[in-house]
Formats: sequence, C-alpha cells, structure tokens
Amino acid sequence: MSVATENEGLPSLDVVVPEATREQITGRTLRQIAWMRLRRDRVAKVSVAILLVIVFLAVFAPVLCGLLKVDPYTFHSEVISDNGGLPIGKWGGVSKAHPLGVEPGTGRDILARLLYGSRISLLIAGSAALITVVTGVVVGIVAGNSRGWVDKVLGRFMDLTLAFPVLLVIIAMSPVLEQRVVAAGVPDGNTSRVITLIIVLSVFGWPYLARLIRGQVLGLREREFVEAAISLGASNRRILFKELLPNLWGPILVYTTIAVPGLIGAEATLAYLGISVLPPTATWGSMLEESVGYFTVDPFYFCVPLTMLVAAVLSFNLLGDSLQDALDPKAGRK
Amino acid sequence: MKKSTSIRFGVGAATVAMLLTACGSSSGDGSTTGTKGGTLYILTQGEQILHLDPQRNYTGEDLAFASGYLNRTLTQYTLSKDNATASKLVADLATDTGTASDGGKTWAFTIRDGVKWEDGKPVTCDDVKYGVSRTFASDIITDGPSYAISMLDIPKGADGSSSYPGPYKADAAAQALYDAAVTCEGSKLTFHLASPSSDFNYTVTLSAFAPVRKDADTGEKYDDHVLSNGPYKIQSYVKKSKLVLVRNDQWDPATDSLRPAYPDTIEYDFSLPADVITQRIMADAGNDSNAISPDGIVPTQLAAVFSDPKFEKRRLNDLDPYVRYYAINTKKVPNVKHRQAILAAANREELRKIAGGIYAGDFADGVVKPNIGVDYAPTGLWDTLLGDKVPVTGNPELAKKLIADSGEPFPNPLVVDYAKTPTNDKAISSLVASLALAGITVKPNPLEPGGYYGVVLDPAKQGGMSAGGWAPDWSNASTVLPELFTPSGGFNMSQYDDAAFNAEVAAAKAMTDRGEQAKAWQALSVKSMQAALALPTRFGKEQRLQGSNVSGAYTWGPYGSYPYATLSVK
Amino acid sequence: MFPYIIRRLGLMVVMLTLLSIVTFLLFNAVPTDPAMLTCGKSCTPELVAANRIRLGLDQPLYVQYIDWIKAIFVGRTYGSGTQTFPCNAPCLGYSFRNGEEVTVMIKAALPITIYLALGAFVLWMVFGILSGIYAAKHHTEWQDRVIMGVALVGYSLPVFFIGLVLLIFVVVRLHLLPYPDYVAPQTNPVQFLQTMILPWISLAILYAAYYTRLTRSQMLETLSEDYIRTARAKGLPESVVVRKHGFRAGLTPIVTSAGLDLAGLLGGAVITEYIFSLPGLGRLSIGAVTEYDLPTITATVLVAATFVIVANLIVDMLYAAIDPRVRLS
Repeated sequence: MSVATENEGLPSLDVVVPEATREQITGRTLRQIAWMRLRRDRVAKVSVAILLVIVFLAVFAPVLCGLLKVDPYTFHSEVISDNGGLPIGKWGGVSKAHPLGVEPGTGRDILARLLYGSRISLLIAGSAALITVVTGVVVGIVAGNSRGWVDKVLGRFMDLTLAFPVLLVIIAMSPVLEQRVVAAGVPDGNTSRVITLIIVLSVFGWPYLARLIRGQVLGLREREFVEAAISLGASNRRILFKELLPNLWGPILVYTTIAVPGLIGAEATLAYLGISVLPPTATWGSMLEESVGYFTVDPFYFCVPLTMLVAAVLSFNLLGDSLQDALDPKAGRK
Repeated sequence: MKKSTSIRFGVGAATVAMLLTACGSSSGDGSTTGTKGGTLYILTQGEQILHLDPQRNYTGEDLAFASGYLNRTLTQYTLSKDNATASKLVADLATDTGTASDGGKTWAFTIRDGVKWEDGKPVTCDDVKYGVSRTFASDIITDGPSYAISMLDIPKGADGSSSYPGPYKADAAAQALYDAAVTCEGSKLTFHLASPSSDFNYTVTLSAFAPVRKDADTGEKYDDHVLSNGPYKIQSYVKKSKLVLVRNDQWDPATDSLRPAYPDTIEYDFSLPADVITQRIMADAGNDSNAISPDGIVPTQLAAVFSDPKFEKRRLNDLDPYVRYYAINTKKVPNVKHRQAILAAANREELRKIAGGIYAGDFADGVVKPNIGVDYAPTGLWDTLLGDKVPVTGNPELAKKLIADSGEPFPNPLVVDYAKTPTNDKAISSLVASLALAGITVKPNPLEPGGYYGVVLDPAKQGGMSAGGWAPDWSNASTVLPELFTPSGGFNMSQYDDAAFNAEVAAAKAMTDRGEQAKAWQALSVKSMQAALALPTRFGKEQRLQGSNVSGAYTWGPYGSYPYATLSVK
Repeated sequence: MFPYIIRRLGLMVVMLTLLSIVTFLLFNAVPTDPAMLTCGKSCTPELVAANRIRLGLDQPLYVQYIDWIKAIFVGRTYGSGTQTFPCNAPCLGYSFRNGEEVTVMIKAALPITIYLALGAFVLWMVFGILSGIYAAKHHTEWQDRVIMGVALVGYSLPVFFIGLVLLIFVVVRLHLLPYPDYVAPQTNPVQFLQTMILPWISLAILYAAYYTRLTRSQMLETLSEDYIRTARAKGLPESVVVRKHGFRAGLTPIVTSAGLDLAGLLGGAVITEYIFSLPGLGRLSIGAVTEYDLPTITATVLVAATFVIVANLIVDMLYAAIDPRVRLS
C-alpha cells in the first residue's frame, strides 16, 4: 500500500502479505494457530498495548483534559515572552499547569492539543483505511471472481490509478474536491475538510489491496473446496461470503495494520504541505508542521508530536509484522 | 506598494515583507564607504524576483534591488540611513528632479547625457517614453502600478480604462493620443497630466516610469532578461535557482553619483527554505558571511538572534513602511457597530506575540503609519473612537455592547481570509478565540500565499475580513487612504464606497498646500477608523540579519529594503 | 516474444491515451475557471476574456483536449497581435505564471530529478538488499533484530524530518558540506556530488528501510523452500546457497517494486527537492500547484504518470524475457 505516505510515493507493499491459504488448512484452524502465536509474541503484545493507550487517550481526550484542567484552544499570553514569542521557562514552558509545555507564540497547552489532535488524526487515518480496505476487497473479489472483460477493465483502471503522482494530484485536487463536498451539503469548515482528507487519502490506496485480493481469489478458485462448492451448485453469493471471504481475512488484516500507519504519515506529510484541518483545530500533522521550525530553539515542542506519531506508526508496523508471521502457515518450519 | 504574502511551504515560512523607514533604532553597520570587489549573495525563499520588468515591478524590495543595480529611473530617493534624508528626491536618469508648470499639470525632465544601455547604445528620451507606454498594455504588462494610466492626460472610458491600449496593439489614432500626452524634444521629456499633481516627480521614482528600448522589448518575456542601464547586467537568470549579475562595462560612473557599485558580482539564490536561510546567516560560514536575505529572520529564531550579543552588529530591527491590518469587508459586515465590535474584541497583544512580540512592531492605531511623516497624527482609536477604552488585550464587554446597540445580530460566521503559513494559522486562532468572547464566530479561510491577493481582491471571492499589508508608494497618504478605502483604489479590500468619504478624499488629493493636505488626511484617517474599515494590528517592523562581511546594511526608508546600491562585502 | 511486445505496446498506447484524458479532465473540467488563473492580482474581466481566447479556453472542452494533444506532436502558436510566440513540439502548454513554455521548464528540471532518483536508487538497492540478506541469514539472532528495528524506525519517520535534520546538522551546524547548490555534473562534478549526497541519503534511508524488510521476507520465504534444503543437503557452502539459490529466486518481487518505485521517483521527489533546494520536477510541480499554474500542473502530472506506465511496460517485458509462460497469458 502506499498512500501518499512519505511523499515520494512510498514503496508498494503488496508483495509482503502472506498467501494465507497456501497450505491446505481450513480458515478456522489457521485462525486459531495465528491467535495462539500472537498471544506468545511479546512485541505484538507491547504494540497492542501502546495502540490501546493511544486510542484511549484520544477517545477520552475531553475527560482527561478536564481532569488536568488544560484546554487546547485557550491562549496563555502570560507564559510567552514578548522578546521573540518563545515560552518562558525551561523545556518549552513545562510546568504543573502545562505538563508538556506550551506552544510558542500562543501559549496554548501542548498536551491538550496533542490529545485532541489524536482524535482527528486517528479519525482520518482510520476512516481512510476502512474505505480503502472495503473498496479494495470488493473490487479485488469482483475482478478475481469475474475474469473476462470486467477483470480486464478493472485491472487497467487500477493500473491507471496507480500511475498518478499521488501527492501532487492530492494537493492539486483537494481545494476543488472540498468545494464539491460542500456543494453536496456537508457543513463548510472542518467537517468538509476532514471528509475531503479522508476521500483523497482513500482514492489512491485501494488498488494495491484490490490487486492482492484479486490474486488471492484467482488462486482460491482453483482450490478443491471452491470447485466442490461450485459443482454442488452453490450460489455465487455463497461462494463469495462463505468460501472466499473467510480465507481472505489474513491478508486483509495484515494490509489494514500497515495501511493505517501509512495513512497517519500521509496526513502529516499533507499537513507539512499545507493541506490540513482549519485552525485552531490540531492534528499530529499540523502540530509537526508547526513545530518543525522550532526544533533547534524549542526541541521539546517538536519532540512531543513526533514521539506520538512515531509511537503509533511503529506500533502498527510491528503489529503488522507479528500478524504476518502469525498468519504465515510456514512460520513453524523455519 | 502591496505587501507580498510569504511563499508558503516551508518550515516556519516567514512573512516575506518589504518595507519602509527606519527610525534610528537600527543597530546594523551603517557605514557608507565600502570595499570594491567580491560577491554579494542574496538568499530568498522566493522562486524568482516577482518581476524584473520595470513596468511590472511593484514590490518594495524588488524596486530597490532593480533600481540599485539594473534600471535607472528619472528620479530616486536619497540613499541614507536617516529616514528624513532618505525621503528627499535626487536626480538619477534625469538631470534634475523635474520641473512643474501649468499648476502641476505639466512635468518636464531632461535625460542625462552619457547614460548607455549594456550594449553601448545611449538611453534616449524616446526609450523612457516607450517604457512608460508599456504600462497601458495591461493584458501583457501585469501587476505593475497603474499611475501612468490614471494620471496621464489620455481619454478614459466610463469604466476607467484608457483609450490607449499600449504599444503592442495601438492603431495610429490611439498612438497619437499617447504621443500627445508624453512628448520628447531632444532629451527633454514632458508629461501632460489629466489633473494637477504636486508630487509627480515622486511618482516617477517607480520603475514603471523607467526606460525600455523598443527593439529590445520582448513583451511578457522581458521579465526574464531586462536590458540594463545600471552598473550591473544579467549574466544568467534561472528561475527557482539563481540570478547572477556582473559588472556592466557600458555603465559610466561619471553619470551616476548614487551607485558606488562595490561588489564585482551579485548572486541571488532562490527557492531556499526560510528556516535554513536564517540558520545559514546565523552560522556565518563560508560564502554566507557575504550574504543578506530580504525575507527577514524566521519568527522561530527571533529570540535566538536578538538575545545574543554576537549578532548585534549584524541584525536590523526597524519599522518598515507597512501597516499590518485586517480589512473589514463593508459589503459583508455593513453595520458600522458590528465592525467596531470586531475592533473592540480583537486581542492585539496575542496577535503581536504570535508574530514575535516587541520585535514584530508597535501597536497600530490606523492604516497611516507614523513614519510617513506629516500625514500621521494619532487617531485615538483605542481610547475614544469606539466609545470606551480598548486595552491591547481587547474589550469583549464593549464589543458585546456595540453589537447589542446595533439592534441586529452579528452576521455570523465571519469568514476571515489569510495566506496560510504557520504563523498566520496561529493568528487566526487568536481571532477565533477573542472574537468568540463577543459572540462573533470566525470561520478561517486559509489561502495559498501565491494566489492570495488574486482571491481577496475579487469581490466575488472575498470573505468578511481579509488580512493585508500596505505601504505608501511615496510619503503622502494619497497613496494610502484612497488606495485602501475608495472604489478607485487598487487595494480596496474593505469594499468601501461612501459618497461623502470619496468626496473628501478627492478634495484632499487636489489640495496644493501640503500642510492643509496633511490635516485633511489626518481627519480622514480618523474617519476611516471610526467607520471601522479595518482592524489595524501592527505598525510592522522588519527583522533582518546579514553576514559578517556585509557592510553598508541598514533599512532604507523609502522601500523598507536593504540599500542595495551601497552594499559592499569585505 | 514479438507478438507479446506488440500487444503490450498497443495496450500502453491505450493507457497513455486514457491517462491524458483523465489528467486533462481532472484539471480542466473544474469549477475554477482556468482563464481566471492566468493573470493574478491585476485580473480584470477584459484581461480574463483576452487570455481565454489566447489560450483557446473559449473552445469546447473536447476541442481544447485535441489542441492540447496535437500540440504535443506538432506544436502550436500562442498569443495575439504582434505578441505571438510559437510553442514547438513537443508543446505541453504555456505557463502564464512563469511566462515560459512548460516543455522548456520540464526539460530543465528533468535531469536533476533523474540524477536524484538514480543516485538514491543505487544507494537504497545496495544497502536495502545487503542488509536484508544479512538479516535473513541471522534470522532470530540479535543482528536481525537490530537491523529490522532500525529499518522500522527509518520507515516510520516523516520524510521531511529526515531531510531537514540531515541538512541542519550536516550542513548548517557542523559545516561538513557546503550548502546544496545544484550544478550539472559536467560543469562541476565535485559540487554536484556535494549537493546530491544528502538528498540521496535521505531518500535512500526511507526506501532502504522498506527494501531491507522486503528482501528479508523474500529470503526467508525462499530459504525455507525444499530445493534450498536439497542444496544444503548436497553440502554446498552456505554463501553459495544464499547467493545462487535463495536470492535469485526471491528477486522477482524486488525487481517489480524497484522498477515502479524508481519510476514514481522520476515524477519528482517533492519534499526532498524542496528541502535541498533542487530545482527538479517535484519542485516545479509543487510550485505550479501553489500558484494554480494549470498548464504546468497538467503537464507534470502527465509526464510523471507516463514514467510509471512505461516502467510497468518495461517490468512486464523483463518478466516475459525471463519467464516464457508470461507471454502466453
């Protein structure tokens, strides 16, 4: 997968995902084996724990900020120096009132902005991943299952989509797309912004998964159990949902865990290029963009969003690796 | 002059400003004698010089750069660190600063002998006449000032457009109209104006009145390679990369007392990240000790530069000619009480801290800046004009009261246009918060800096309030108040069209007694604030840093720029 | 082989045509009037109308498209009155914002992007593959973990962070290199290398991390195949097993990825070019986007996408050359 991620059109990850069904094991047992392996994997457990903490912090941001008496939007000019606008005090103005310091220039609380920012970042990455995965799976299954001209047309369409310089097209199209989103009746403002971001991030990701799924489906259709189902006269729908889909969960799951961090990175990159939510709302990306200029004079400010972003991306990637190993039927033989 | 928006994209992209007028607070090395030789490096995040074509050049820093090195104008401002001296006119391409007759309706200049183009041909009166005519070709010669069109005695249509379409398209009849308005007899150049002007010789300091030779004119491509008549000429110019100037051997120092032309080479490096430019000049290593940057110090490094004594000789922090303000669109916010409420509610201290605190400038009380000279007087905006005192942190109670008094609800949401940079993002956040206290909902409208003015100057696209910066074209509020607040002005983001105000402006413009005129401008300045046509935030300051080998650096008042002509490197 | 090549070339022509239509529609059938974008601050309705005619924007969309495509092959003439200027084939349009033919700008920018992409490509392939093989050989040992850990972190950092940190520390703070100032390699090879080394490294870090992971997983996959066991059982030295049997077999997906990644980079490495002030294709296109310079945006997107489609073709051809079965499918 490779949504605009690190700009330069990140490598295409499609090849790493395991072929979940190479061995003749039924989905269920494979799932049990995978679960067992995962539970033994310490890295996976730590990754999941970190991700749960991040999600918890995001979901309960208002409650937590209320408890800590911090607010993401209140200005605190009194803790900002009039000589150049930097926070007064060491570590970017860290104090009891502001546990992670304050933003230069405005004095807004960084912890509160980080927590509230997590909500938007995760919302964007999560929704875009969901749309990407659903579209990719549907198109992949349709293509793999239909063959013939439908498959050909879809295949070319995927090639075409993948040929575009993603980052450029996203930047060029975002303003226009937002106008359309607003015209479609979505409230103008951050709602339309976030929806636009989700759409542009989804548009270019799905073909990777679709290709992968198509390949898997082509393979599965040759399998005896599918052939048996067909010869027994099972309906197309039954074959799709009962025979094919259960065998695709592995690659889908692995793809999702590596798509989400890619999308988080993509949001940051777009923010760096000026495509982000409207102020005063924050995201990890907009905080990074804002703080990167300060990393020589107020490094702590920059480290806060960077740490959060890297922690999330790293945990997802590690979890993806573990899942992949766990789902790999041959792993035990190595 | 318009204030350019910063090129975004960058790491803490600073506001690329340009500007006017020092108030003696400068700490830079203002020595006026320099060493010959060496290369002066100019670093910028811009991708090119917006326009080198003299008729299209209309940003302060670029005007100063081009006039210092490439194109001479009839008259020019004095090169001096002292603001009062700097605002005095001197003859440049002309032999004197011009002679007015017919009550200021006719202005004559004599072109100096011995001034040559870089190919050795003499600069003639006809070259100046041809250059000025190019402004009229407004489909090709874009972005420049339009004083030639508005001031010269050439018939205009009802919509203000000229009957003369410029040299590229004019038929014989149209050309005859221009030839009657601008005449050459030998080296004597005469301008016939439509109405009297007491300071037209200031107008011609703008390079829109500089010569261009007809056979060298390449239309819109002239921007890429101008023919020089100054001490340097273009050796190479690659946009997004660099412009290199070398000595023009046809330039005769005997004809030019303004330009000592110290360095052998000038190298303008484009497309550098803003943050990196400041860090490089701070580090002062290698060629960077011969470097200046018109972009100013990025806000993130202000504290570092101004708290460290080692930069004392290398930094500048002077009032520039620009007023930073938010124009309030009177079409979108028609009720004057509502506009006053915006002024009362805004937290100007927060806005200034975001821009860098005391280094970012002084609190403003109008759009006419003190360094313009006689036309400024305190307006009393924050003490009496709004009905009560408004501290720098705002007075939300007063704002609420004003809205209540207006008898109608505020037209929420208030869309605020601004050029998207990290700093401006913070400023808008401050407005969101402070105006909310008065019940005003701000909707931020971030725009790409490159296309910013194109959007906000289009009434169909402009929001309720738009960030802006404006500096006078010369030291007369006639280049400020009419430009910003009347329909004939080029920068009327307030979309203000009030018959009484327009009439008073017209009357003030026509005044010939400078003292009376100054009083009229002062009164109009108060009126513009009473009508709350704009929220003035700062009389801006420009912070700059130059390499340790650069001497002669100060803020040159008229353009708020470096005095390019006199810069030298050790 | 021959019929296969013809078939693939035909398909490529179809794809390129589709691509040009989509690109054209994407940027020209937008609610924003392209003529409005030609004159910036001093736009007047007359000016817009004049530019509309000068650019042929008064024509129906399909005529504009045909003009645009025709110009690529035979050129066209822009302008009016005495101020006309020819735009020679291959003419990709005229940028009013820059007052220049788009083809000229792309020609100037392209070599820089090619050098950037190729240099980074060599670096990341060498380091990515070597460390991937090394990690696979030491699978489950600490070397593997260290390499994979470093690769994951490199992979997780935002790209602008890597470039900026390298620039600020190596150049600005430590003065280990002069500030990047691009010159053509034939003009000044030393300065060229000094300028390119950091951009190469920062791009390579990103991709090498990915190729390390890819190579490792491919190696592990193939090393567990039966024929590798056979090779080991034969008593072949481990290095021969890894090199001849393991790596060869795992090469195909790496080649696919490499071809497409290289092609993607040739379309411009936007952020790296920006941070290191390299006037390449990415810089050109992002500048065009921020200035709403439609002709330039359309052309750069078309060029970048063409690279990817051509790269697809080349990769397919390579497969066909290696594996005869592909030709028949």
